[in-house]
Amino acid sequence: MLKVNNIDVYYGEVQALWEASLEVDEGEYVALLGANGAGKTTTLNTISGLLRPKKGNIEFLGQDLNHVPAYKTAEMGIAHVPEARRLFPEMTVKENLIMGSLPQKAKNKRKESIDWVFALFPRLEERQRQEAGTLSGGEQQMLAIGRGLMLKPKLLMLDEPSLGLAPFLVDEVFKIIKKVNEEGITILLVEQNVVHALTSCTKAYILENGRITLQGKGRDLLNNEHIKEVYLGI
Amino acid sequence: MSLFWQTLICGLLLGGMYALIAIGMTLIMGVMKIINLAHGALVMVGMYVTYVCFHYWGIDPYAALFISMPALFFLGCLIQKYSINTLIGKESILPENQVLLTVGIMLVLTETMRMIFGSDYKSVHTSYTGSSFFVGDVSVSIPMAIGFVIAMVFTYALHIFLTKSDIGRSIRATAQDKEAAILMGVNANKITIITFGLGSALAAGGGTLLIPIYYLFPDIGHAFVAKSFIITILGGMGSTMGALFGGLTLGIAESFGATYISMGLKDVVGFVIFIIVLLFLPGGFKSLTKR
Repeated sequence: MLKVNNIDVYYGEVQALWEASLEVDEGEYVALLGANGAGKTTTLNTISGLLRPKKGNIEFLGQDLNHVPAYKTAEMGIAHVPEARRLFPEMTVKENLIMGSLPQKAKNKRKESIDWVFALFPRLEERQRQEAGTLSGGEQQMLAIGRGLMLKPKLLMLDEPSLGLAPFLVDEVFKIIKKVNEEGITILLVEQNVVHALTSCTKAYILENGRITLQGKGRDLLNNEHIKEVYLGI
Repeated sequence: MSLFWQTLICGLLLGGMYALIAIGMTLIMGVMKIINLAHGALVMVGMYVTYVCFHYWGIDPYAALFISMPALFFLGCLIQKYSINTLIGKESILPENQVLLTVGIMLVLTETMRMIFGSDYKSVHTSYTGSSFFVGDVSVSIPMAIGFVIAMVFTYALHIFLTKSDIGRSIRATAQDKEAAILMGVNANKITIITFGLGSALAAGGGTLLIPIYYLFPDIGHAFVAKSFIITILGGMGSTMGALFGGLTLGIAESFGATYISMGLKDVVGFVIFIIVLLFLPGGFKSLTKR
């Protein structure tokens, strides 16, 4: 479904990704893991077109994304839940959800999608008329995921959804991602919470200093010596 | 006491029309993050369009709204698309290069109008220009009352557009977080063009409503750019509701300044308010409604 082929990405003169490649198949739950500054967010931003690779290319459903403007990737079925949530703070919860369903296909199913998101996150239904900026951190993260789901995406990209959340909320968020994946939506998850991500994903890539250094099934990587030492501290 | 009410009503009506112009400026400021210093010039061009409609074709100023507003919407879109947007992403010594560009646009518009119409004062004298009605012992000027009502109708219509339509919501979303809006599928480039068009149309609307009670000359734009800027700061940048209350406040303050201090010092009142707001309420009215 998604193929990232040997991309080099720069911020001005500074190179952030070196020949990064990854592949996500339909229905999969793929995790992209690594430390701060490893290039995880850069990878997602390049997929959704906010950044452009200097070398290499990205294919989605057989189409080359290199020349697709960023705003069109949503229309193609890629929902990107960005780092730090990036909600529209002065719009209500419901308006934020509506903003997630702008492309025509998603717009036709807007009502139905809102009911679906409210069923997944009952809390959002209670707060639907409240401004997004007044929500708690956990609620904001739910809204960010819900806004992504409003697209009825083929691929849902989540950038550190557990960041800054209380431990019980982290469990909750991972449960919901699993549930969404079981409903047939392909997931590409970026995380620093390595244990959680590896136990729930089907496949994972490890990104270190802008290079993909390891890949494999989640369970296998949990037993990898390097991962144990560097990320799990065992 | 009747002088007090007279002054208040007069200021309120005038303020409603100022607000319409300032809302246009605040919309552009919200999305583009720049002060549009050509805004007053756009008001002026809108007024000339109305003047031409009235003088040459005998079209009533209020009917001319249907010409001046679309015309300025179109002009605003062109300015944004072919001038301001081409500057985004260009490296420059000053980060404010887009603001400087709007100064250039202001000069071009002002001098173009001077070339066509000369520097003479023009006015649109309709049958109702001098007429008024009485509420108790307060006389209310008819063109001011009509202008105020139309300005409020436009403000309300804009509010509905911004909160109920996908394009309106996209404008607000782009103002609040442009990158996130792009991820939602908003063509931010197109939104900046529509927003500048809309802001220009509102400027023209305000100008057209003021024309039955104002003189018109190419440099009149300067006064409006100053007023809009004061109102925008007063209301809180990027806030439509703030601009509405800011406009009414400025109108009333000017009116009281003219009545109780001196006619010649009425513009000073606006600047004094401006400085007081910057000192004591830098976020404007908008910050009062926030936590």
